[in-house]
Amino acid sequence: MHSNATSNSNDTPIRNADILADGLWHNNTIFTQLLGMCPLLGVTTSAENGFWMGAATLLALICSNVTVSLIRGGIPEHVRIPAYITIIAAFVSIIGMAMNAWMHEMYLILGLFIPLIVVNCAILGRAEAFASKNTPIHSFVDAIAMGSGFTFALVLLGGVRELLGQGELFGFEVLGANYPDVLMFILPPGAFIALGFILAGVNIIKQRMQAQKKALMMASSSSDAVEAVPQAK
Amino acid sequence: MNISREQWRMIIALVLVAVISTVLLGITNMLTKAPIAQAQRQALMQALMQVLPEHSNDPITDTFILSPKDSQPITFYISRNPEQHINAIAWQTIAPDGYNGSIHILIAVNPDSSIHAIRIIDHQETPGLGDGIVKNIPWIHAFSDKSLSNARWAVRKDGGDFDQFTGATITPRAVVKAVKKALQMFAQSQVLRLVSKSEVNHAQ
Repeated sequence: MHSNATSNSNDTPIRNADILADGLWHNNTIFTQLLGMCPLLGVTTSAENGFWMGAATLLALICSNVTVSLIRGGIPEHVRIPAYITIIAAFVSIIGMAMNAWMHEMYLILGLFIPLIVVNCAILGRAEAFASKNTPIHSFVDAIAMGSGFTFALVLLGGVRELLGQGELFGFEVLGANYPDVLMFILPPGAFIALGFILAGVNIIKQRMQAQKKALMMASSSSDAVEAVPQAK
Repeated sequence: MNISREQWRMIIALVLVAVISTVLLGITNMLTKAPIAQAQRQALMQALMQVLPEHSNDPITDTFILSPKDSQPITFYISRNPEQHINAIAWQTIAPDGYNGSIHILIAVNPDSSIHAIRIIDHQETPGLGDGIVKNIPWIHAFSDKSLSNARWAVRKDGGDFDQFTGATITPRAVVKAVKKALQMFAQSQVLRLVSKSEVNHAQ
């Protein structure tokens, strides 16, 4: 498992704000852990598809995290993985049936990717790394954070592909009728290329943030930092 | 063989998880069964509304089922005008040879066996290329009023009357071929005659 600031610090109290920041940004499922690539690349031909795929995953994550946390004392260590998988599979099937009944059109679009949420390693990963060691409330917050971070990444990639590929965003014309659709972004290679650029952008932002943080810390801790501040910029 | 306490704990835990999950799934299935059927019915209804002319009956219940010896049964949806005369018959056919899997097509024919309208109801063709069969409205409308006798059933590239798309020939070719086959099946199995015959029986 990835090193995770909140999951292995059982001695010190966990703050909900830290869990949120971790899931949304620092330890984001897509940007940092690079998990859940299959639904990410498969369904993000538009921002709307990305949003609903993310929402279904978020819901599955909340249900599984809270359940796993509630029964965390009662499951023997050796059979915990099959137990978690059964729980996740049950919730995903329930969500699939509900979508089929009440969101029929979106269910047809997402199709195979809904049952495939079961094998999204991001969900089992949170059950194993977080929910099995933390309280239901913290696990609930963790699910919200991780699921929202995942949804954010899906909508971002779906939005970029829809915008470049069709000149639209959430189905609305944005770049005008004369925009020459760059078809490649709707096709599978476009998913990889767009994801590459997004990851590069995220890494640049992270580096900048880290440099700023470092500069701030140095400035407050010693007078030597005076030299470091211009460097960071 | 002795089963230790620890092993009993594992067995009980897994059985409990499995039983509870199964019960939850069963309950959800019971709750969603009717809404899913309703949603599917509505999707079919919407598709039928697009291909059928104005009608005063309910084509989803007014059906005729043909069971050919060598293939799956086919359901024909019958559309009637206010005088209860048949003004169109619709059914679903599948083009198995799309660029990316099967293409599901809904076809409606007039009583003279010419096409009233067709719609693609399900496909996985390439967005921007093959999905012109859904988005290219003039292309879809070009099928209207065509019959086996008044059109050459192939894309222009193959010497026919139907346009292919730039960069996508396989998809339109598959659709044209499937519609042609469906029309041949409709003529050969004399569906129109069978439907009116079953009505006479029904009336008696």
